[in-house]
Amino acid sequence: MDIQIKNDNGKIMVTLDGRLDTSNADKFQEDIAPLMEGDKPDIDIDCTNMEYTSSQGLRIFLMLQKSVMARSGKMVMRNMNPQVKEVFDITGFSNIITII
Amino acid sequence: MKKRFNPIKDKSSEIIEYLMSSPDMPDDEGLRFKLRLSIEEAVENVVRYAYEGGIGWLEAGTSLDHDRLSLTIELRDAGVPFNPLAQDDPDITLGAQEREIGGLGIFLCKKMMDSINYRYENGNNVLTMTKQIKN
Repeated sequence: MDIQIKNDNGKIMVTLDGRLDTSNADKFQEDIAPLMEGDKPDIDIDCTNMEYTSSQGLRIFLMLQKSVMARSGKMVMRNMNPQVKEVFDITGFSNIITII
Repeated sequence: MKKRFNPIKDKSSEIIEYLMSSPDMPDDEGLRFKLRLSIEEAVENVVRYAYEGGIGWLEAGTSLDHDRLSLTIELRDAGVPFNPLAQDDPDITLGAQEREIGGLGIFLCKKMMDSINYRYENGNNVLTMTKQIKN
């Protein structure tokens, strides 16, 4: 799992690449720790190349969503592959995270 | 095929890859996704919670039924007796702030597999998960 984080005029652009699973979830959580700070964050997560996520990944996306909401920010996840989208649908995460 | 892993602390990935490389596994990517997810969730459950300090064994195996239409994954351990199927499903209608972090693993197994069964047998937890892989 590769993660890139860029700041584009105040908008935080995140690109995920690979499989998010039990082998790298802790590392992923560390990598996105900076996104848990700051006022009114505007986070855009590109999932085009995210091949897979388990509940370990979902747990972190939920933490991030809660954190963003608590700071009156917004977060979107885009271009999920159908299988990853299904995981978000089945768990009800599609209703609590904006997926486009 | 089956194999006993001992000890299992920090061995989740090795156990998952062992099962995913089984000749019983289908080639279809969509099916493999669902199987990988179910395997990861179930294996993690054992590795994290079955034994104090993760010191103990896990036997992991796959088998096909006689028509080779459905695949069964079996996990066996001698840890604390625990029926993962007795847990309540998470309430997936709650908003983000109300949702609890965690508790999704076995729920995903239930949704991704066709059937999932638990028994406690001769001091072992035995979890079996079955999925139709061919029509």
